[in-house]
Amino acid sequence: MSSGSSQSRLRSIASTLAVALTLTLAAAAGCDSRKEPELLSVQEKMRETHIYGQSKLRIGVATNEPLMGELRNGQHVGFDVEIARYIAASLGYEGEQRLEFVSVATEDRIPSLQGGTVDLVVSSFSMTEDRKKLVSFAGPYFVTTQEVMVPVRLKDKIRTIEDLRDPAYKVCTSGGSTTEAELEKHQVKTFVVKNVGDCVDGIRKGRYDAVSSDESILAGFLASFPKEFEIVDMPFGTSELLGIGVPIGDPALRDLVAYFLQKSYEQGRDGDASPWQTAYNRTLGPWLKAEKRQPQPLEVPKLVDFDDKAPAK
Amino acid sequence: MSAAPTATGGDGPVPPPRSSVPGGAAEAPRVDGTVTAAPVVDPPPAGPDGEVAWPAAVPVAEPAEPVVAEVQPGRVRWDPAERRARASQSFWTAVVGVPAIFSVLRLGVEAGGELQTTLLLVANVGPVNLLAGFLTTAARLLSTGLVAVFALGAVLAVSADRLPPGARRRPLFARWADITPAWVVLASFLLALITWPLLYLPLLLPAFVAAFQLRPGRLHERVVPRLLLIGALLAGYGWLMLPTLRAAVQQGGEWLVLALIVVPPLLALFIAGPLPGMVIRPLASVTEVAVLATLVWAAVPVISTPVLPLTVTTVGPESGPTEDVRGHVVTTDDVNMVILQERGGVRYVPVDQVRAQVLCPSEEELPRYQLRIHDFHVEDSLLEGMGRRVRPVHRIDAACRTPA
Repeated sequence: MSSGSSQSRLRSIASTLAVALTLTLAAAAGCDSRKEPELLSVQEKMRETHIYGQSKLRIGVATNEPLMGELRNGQHVGFDVEIARYIAASLGYEGEQRLEFVSVATEDRIPSLQGGTVDLVVSSFSMTEDRKKLVSFAGPYFVTTQEVMVPVRLKDKIRTIEDLRDPAYKVCTSGGSTTEAELEKHQVKTFVVKNVGDCVDGIRKGRYDAVSSDESILAGFLASFPKEFEIVDMPFGTSELLGIGVPIGDPALRDLVAYFLQKSYEQGRDGDASPWQTAYNRTLGPWLKAEKRQPQPLEVPKLVDFDDKAPAK
Repeated sequence: MSAAPTATGGDGPVPPPRSSVPGGAAEAPRVDGTVTAAPVVDPPPAGPDGEVAWPAAVPVAEPAEPVVAEVQPGRVRWDPAERRARASQSFWTAVVGVPAIFSVLRLGVEAGGELQTTLLLVANVGPVNLLAGFLTTAARLLSTGLVAVFALGAVLAVSADRLPPGARRRPLFARWADITPAWVVLASFLLALITWPLLYLPLLLPAFVAAFQLRPGRLHERVVPRLLLIGALLAGYGWLMLPTLRAAVQQGGEWLVLALIVVPPLLALFIAGPLPGMVIRPLASVTEVAVLATLVWAAVPVISTPVLPLTVTTVGPESGPTEDVRGHVVTTDDVNMVILQERGGVRYVPVDQVRAQVLCPSEEELPRYQLRIHDFHVEDSLLEGMGRRVRPVHRIDAACRTPA
C-alpha cells in the first residue's frame, strides 16, 4: 500500500515536471518563432549596396573579345556578357531597359570602377593581389591559363617561351593585363596595345608575330579566324582566376555577387542546368580544348533568401 | 424578442396563449413609442418578429397559482442536454463569428487605417476569399489554441477526478475538455499536424498523449514488452531526427532546436497525469491566463498579415520608361487596375499601361534556420513541405528585388 502510494506520488511529481517543461518549451518555441533571422537576408544586403534604388545597372564589358565580350549587330554577346546578365537579373535588373552595358577597354577596367562610371566589371578581369588593393573581386567565375596564339605560318617556329624571347619575333599583348606582367617576368619584350583585338589585327596585317593572353580570349579570336591562327600551349606557370570587379567601397555588392555565383555553382554541382553552364555551352564550350566547370567562388557570405526552403533534390 | 412591453411589464410572466395568433396584423397605433389601447375586438397586434405583444388594456388572465413556479425567470437551471445544445450553439457562433470579425479587422489594418481604402477593400474582397485567406494564415494559431486547451483540459480533468467529490468547481479547461466530442479534439490535432512548422511538431506528441490520456501502461500490460515497445518507438523517432540533430550540432549548437527535438518524446512518457492536488488550482489559473495572453499576442501578426497577395506590376507606355509598382492588386476592370501600394495609398493604373506583373514573397517568409528533416525544411509545415515537392522550383523574379 505504502509503496503504491509512493509510486503514485512519484508519478504525479513526474507529471507535474513534464507539464511544466512542456509549457516552458512551448513558450520558448513561441518566442523563437517571432524572432528575426540571425543571418542577413539578400534583401537586407541589397539595401546596403550603392545600387539600391538605382533605376539602371551599368556593367562594364569588353566589346572586342569574341566569345567573351563582343558587340555583334548592336547586341552584346559572349560568356562575360551572359554572366553579367545573370548577376544583373539576380540583383533585380532584368531587361534592356534596366541594364546598361558600358564598353570598357582592358586598361580602363579599374579606373571606370574607381570613377563610378560602371557598377560592375565583367570583362576577363583576372583577380590579382595588386588589383585587390584597388577594386574588390567576386569570384572566380572562370579559371583560365595564359597562352600564346601565333599565325599558322609561324606555328612550327614559335613553340616555347625561349622562342618568344627571340628579338626576331614581335610579341603583342594588351596593356594593363596580367599577361603583360607575366611576359615581363619571363624577360619577353612585348608590344603593348590597348586590346587583344588590336594585336590580332596587327598580326593579320604583318605588324606582329605572336599574341599572348588568356586562353579564353584567344579561343574567341581563334573562333573568328580558325584558318589563320593556332594556339600554342606554353608552360606559363600561373592560372588566371577571372572575377567580377566591384568598387572597393561596396563590400555588400561584392558579397551579393559572390552569393549569386555560389548559387549557380551549387546548381551546377547538383547536376542541374546552372546559368553558368548555359552561358558556357552557348559561347566558349565548343572552342576550348578541355571541358571546363564553374570554379567554386571564394569568400561567399552566408545569406538567407526566399527560396532557401525549396527542396534540395 | 419583441420590443413592446407586455401588459404586465417586461419581467413578468408571459401571458398564456390566446386562441389564435393572427399573422400579418397591423402594428398597434403608438404614441411616443408606447403601445396604446386597441379596441378589444381587434386581434392582438404582433411585434416586429411576429411575437404577440399584448396591449395594456387587454385583461390578463391571472392564473390561480403564479406561473413563476414553472418558469423561474432570472436564474435558470439547465438540464445537461440543453446545456450541451447551448455549448454547441456558442461553439458554432465562435467558429463563424471569430474569423468574420478578424477578417474585417484585418481589412482595416491592410488598408493602412484609411476609411476610404478600407471601404474599397470591403467592396472588392469577397467574403469567401476573406475567410479562406484568414484560415490559411490563422489555421496555425487556431490549432495551437485548441491543442493547448484540450491537452491541459484532459490533464486537469483526470487530476480533478482525484480530488474529494464536490470539493470545488472543476477547472475551466477540464470542463471544456469534458464536453468536447473526441472527433473535435482529433480534428484539432490533425490540423496542428499539417499546419505547424516541423520544428515544433515534437511538442504535439506530449500534447496528444495528454489529451487522450495515453499512459505507457496502455501499450502493453507487462513491463518488458512495454519497455521494448517504447524503445522501438523512440528508435524510430531517433532515425527520423538524427541527421537533423547532427546538422544542428554542427551549426554551432542551436540549443532550442536540440531541446525541441530531443525533450518532447521523453516528456510524453510522464505527462498524462494525474497531478498532485495542490498543483491543480494554480496550474489551472496560470494556464488559463497564459493561453488567453498567447492567443492575443499571436493574433496581432495574424491581423496584420496581408489579405491580398503581394505583386510587382511594371507600368509604362508602349515605348517609354517603365515604373515598378509594388503592392496588392485589389481589383481589375476594363479600364483600371487598382493597386494598394505597399508603402500606402491606392493607385489606379490604366490597364493598357500594365506591361508585366509578378508575384513576390514577403520578408516574413524568410527562413531562420538552415536545417532540414529528410529534405523538408524545419520551418515548413507538412502541408507546405508537400507543396514544395509538387512545385519544387521557385525562382524569385528580379522585379521583386526592387525597392518599395
